[in-house]
Amino acid sequence: MLTLVLRRFLISIPLLLIATFLVFWMVRSTQAFDPTARLAQSRDPSVVQNERERLGLDDPIPVQYGRWLKDAVTGDLGESQTKHEEVTSMLQRSFWNTLQLILWGALFSAVVAMIIGVYSAVKQYSIGDYVFTSLTYIGIAMPPFVFGLLAIAYLAVWPKQTWGLDKPPLEFVGLHTTGQSGLNWDYIKHLVLPVLTLTVQIVASWTRYQRAATLDVLSSDYVRTARAKGVPRRKVIIKHAVRNSLIPLVTVMAVDIGLLFGGLLITEQIFSIPGMGRLFLNALQTGDAPVILGYILVAGVFVVLFNLIADVMYGVLDPRVRLS
Amino acid sequence: MRRQRRSMQLLALILGLSIIAAACGGDDDDDSGSKGEETKTQTGGDLVIGAEQFPDCMDWIASCAGSSWGSWMVSYNTMPNSFDIVKDGDDWVYETSSMMAEDPEITTEGDKQVVTYVIDDKAVWSDKTPITCADYLYTWDQIKNGDDIYDKTGYQDIESVECPDGEDGKTAVTNYSKPYAGWQQLFGGQFGIFPSHLLKGKDRAAIMANGYDFSAGPWKLDGGASGWVKDTSITLVPNENYWGKKPTLDKVTFLLQADTAAEFEAFKAGTVKAIYPQPQLDAVEEISNGIPDTGKSINADHTPNAEALWMNNAKFPFDSKAVRQAFSYSLDRDAIVEALFGGLGVTKAMNSFNQTILGDFGDPDAFAGYTQDLDKVDELMEGDGWAKGSDGIWAKGGKKAEIVFKTTAGNARRERTQELILEQAKDAGFSLKIDNQAAGDLFGDQLPKGDYTLALYAQVLTSLDPSLSSLFVSTNIPTAENEFSGQNWTRTDIPDADEPLLAVDTESDRQDRSDAQAEADKLLAEDATSLPLDPLPNIFLWSTDIVGPEEGEDNPIFGPFHDMNEWALKA
Repeated sequence: MLTLVLRRFLISIPLLLIATFLVFWMVRSTQAFDPTARLAQSRDPSVVQNERERLGLDDPIPVQYGRWLKDAVTGDLGESQTKHEEVTSMLQRSFWNTLQLILWGALFSAVVAMIIGVYSAVKQYSIGDYVFTSLTYIGIAMPPFVFGLLAIAYLAVWPKQTWGLDKPPLEFVGLHTTGQSGLNWDYIKHLVLPVLTLTVQIVASWTRYQRAATLDVLSSDYVRTARAKGVPRRKVIIKHAVRNSLIPLVTVMAVDIGLLFGGLLITEQIFSIPGMGRLFLNALQTGDAPVILGYILVAGVFVVLFNLIADVMYGVLDPRVRLS
Repeated sequence: MRRQRRSMQLLALILGLSIIAAACGGDDDDDSGSKGEETKTQTGGDLVIGAEQFPDCMDWIASCAGSSWGSWMVSYNTMPNSFDIVKDGDDWVYETSSMMAEDPEITTEGDKQVVTYVIDDKAVWSDKTPITCADYLYTWDQIKNGDDIYDKTGYQDIESVECPDGEDGKTAVTNYSKPYAGWQQLFGGQFGIFPSHLLKGKDRAAIMANGYDFSAGPWKLDGGASGWVKDTSITLVPNENYWGKKPTLDKVTFLLQADTAAEFEAFKAGTVKAIYPQPQLDAVEEISNGIPDTGKSINADHTPNAEALWMNNAKFPFDSKAVRQAFSYSLDRDAIVEALFGGLGVTKAMNSFNQTILGDFGDPDAFAGYTQDLDKVDELMEGDGWAKGSDGIWAKGGKKAEIVFKTTAGNARRERTQELILEQAKDAGFSLKIDNQAAGDLFGDQLPKGDYTLALYAQVLTSLDPSLSSLFVSTNIPTAENEFSGQNWTRTDIPDADEPLLAVDTESDRQDRSDAQAEADKLLAEDATSLPLDPLPNIFLWSTDIVGPEEGEDNPIFGPFHDMNEWALKA
C-alpha cells in the first residue's frame, strides 16, 4: 500500500510539471488569452505596452514559466495578473465553494444511486424498474444548464409567483443570503437547487452502474447458494449483494469526484457560486496565467489523489485484490 | 309617462356607472414606475440589486480597474467628482457638482489653458477631513506620473497643479500645456478624486485595490474591504458625513449574477429588486414577454454606445472607396436594428459614429443617405470595374468580393446581427465569411494589426466628450513602426478630416467643437470609411417596490445607481 502511494506521488510530480507547462505555453502563445486585450480600447496608446512590460509578457515563454515555477515550489503561487489578489487566496475561496457542492452532491448521489440501483436490480423488469430506467436515461441526456434553469423556474419562481410568497421557497443565488453563514436553514435552501443540478447526470449514471453491478452479483453462485441454504432474501441482498456490488461503483465514484474538483462550471455559473469552474473560466478569458496555473495544480492534485483513493478502495472492498 | 321614467332611470344608471368607473380607474399603469401619485415610502430597508460583472479591483486609476460596473456600483457613489452629468431637457450635460463652491473657471491664452477649481467648504471625506487642493494635486500626480495607470489622457496635458492658498486651501489651479477640450471629465469621472491625507506616501494600490473604507459620496463600502465579498457581493451603507442628500435606505447589496437567464429569474423571484442587463437576445425576449410589477427604462436615444461595421480601408476590397460606399448601400440598417431590438421599441439605425448621448453634436445624420439601394450598388461597383459572376457575387481582376467578417465569439446578439447582414449583403452581390474570434485575440491583435476586413463591435463613451479623433485621424493608424499602438484600426486616411477631428479635442467652445465634428462627419460619410449601425440600448429594470427610478432617467454615463441616495422602498 505504501509503495503504491509513494509511486503514485512520485509519478504525479512530473505529470503536473508537464501539464502546467503545456497549459502555460498554450495560453501565452495564443492571442486569444492576452491579458492586455481588455486595455486595447483605452484612449491612451501607451497603456497596453506598459501593461506588457509590467507582466513581463515580452520575455520568452520558458523564462516566464520559470519565473512562476521558482515561486511555486516554495508555495507562492503569485498574484493574479488582472485582479491584484493572491492566487492562493483566490483558490482557497473558490475551492471551498466547489468542495461544498461536491461533498453534498456526492453524498446525495451515492445514497440515491445505491437505493434506486439496488431496487431496480432486485425488482428487475417491474414497473418501478422501467420508471427509474427511463428517468436515468432522461437524466443522462439532460444538459445541466437546461435542468438548472428549469429547476429555478419551476421550483423557485413559479411557487413564489403562484402562491404569492414573500420569497421563493428555494434560493438560487450563491450559497447564503448576504450576511448569513454557517449550516442553517438558509444554507440548505440555497443548496438544494445547485446540488440537484449537478447531480442529475451523476445520479443517473451511478444508478446504471449500481443496477448493473447488483444484477451481476445477484446472479452469482454464492448468492444462489445463500438463498438455497435458506438465508432470507432481504439479508442476502443487504449483506452480500449490496456490499459486493459497491466495488465497481465506488471506483467510478472516486474517479468522478476527482474530476469534479476541476469545477462545476455550468452549475456555478447559473447559481452564481464562485467556485473553481468560474475561477478557471474567468482566468482563461483574461489570460491570467498565474491563476490558470494554480488551478491546474489544484485540479491535477485532486484527480491524482482520487484516482489513488479509487485504487485503494478497490483493495479495501475486495480482499482478492488485496491478496494479489 | 312610464316610458319617460324608464329612460330617466336608464340615464341615471349610466351616469352612476360612469362616475363609479371614473373613481375606480385612473393610472393603473404600475409598470411605468413613474412617480405619478405620491407613493408612501418607508425609512430604511435593505435593497438587493443584480450585477452582471464585478470590477477586478477598486483602485480606479489602475489598469485592473477600467470596469463600467465598478464605476456604476462603487466609484460614482463613493468618489467625488468636479462635475456631475445631468439631464437638461433632452440632453445630458455636465453640471458643476455640489463639491464645488462655484463653476470652475477656464481661461485660454494662446496655447495655454488654465482651469481653476474652488471647493466648497462643506465638502468633506467620510472621516470629516475637508476635501482640499492637496487632493487635486495628489490625484493629478498619481495619474500623470504613476505606473500601471488605466488612462492618462488629459492629465498628461496638465503641466502643474498649484494651490494658491496652500495645499489645505480650497482652490486648485490646473495649468495645461495645450488646450484640452475634455477638461470637464478630469478630476472626477471614472477615476474620481483621491484622498491625499489617507494615501500620500503610501501604497495606493494596496489600500484601494480590494476595497477601501473612505468615501466622499453618499455611500461607502460596508466595513471597508469587507464590504466586497469577492465574486459574490458588494455592500454599500450610507456615508453619515456626506454633505448632500443622505440615503434613505440602510443598505444596498449588489449580487453578482453572470448568467442572464438566471438573472431574470432572480428578478422575477424578487431575490434581486433591480437589474441592468446587457441588450442580449434573451434579455430582449424576456422584456418583450413582459414582467409584472416592473418599472423599466429603455434608452436608445441617449446611450454612450455605438455599434458599427468597421471596414479595413487598407485591405481588399475595402481599399476602394466605391466598394465601401456600395457595401453601405447594400444594407437596410433600420431593418437590422428592428430585428434586434424591435421588441424594445428601438427601430432606427445610427447615422453617426458619435454616440447618441452627445445629442446634436456633430452631424447625427451624416450617414442617413446610406439606405438600401441595390441599383446604387450596381452603379458604384460597375463604375469601379466590377462585374457579377454566375454566382451573383461581384468580381474584379479574377478576385471576388469575399469579405471576412469578424466579431467577438460567443456573443449571441452579434452573431444574429451577422446573419442578418450576411443575407442582405449576398443579395447585393457581396460574399461574407464569418470568422469570429475571442475578444482578446480580436482587440489585442487582429484589429490593431489590420488582420481583418470587416468587424462588428462597439465603441463606448465613458464621458460626455467625443473621442473620434483617436479612431479616424491618420496619424493614429497602427503600424509596425509605432508597435501597432494607434487606435485608427480602420486605417482611415482622409487628410482633410484630420484637422477638424483634432480641433474637436482642442476647441474650448462646444459649438465650435460641434461644427468641427460636423465637418469631419461629412467627410467620413462621403468616404464611407465605416458604417454606423445600432445604439446598444441601455436597459434598466426595477421592481415597483422601489420608489425613485424613473423611466428614461437612468444616467447613461454614471449608470442607473448614481442616485440611489434618493431611492426608498415602498411602505
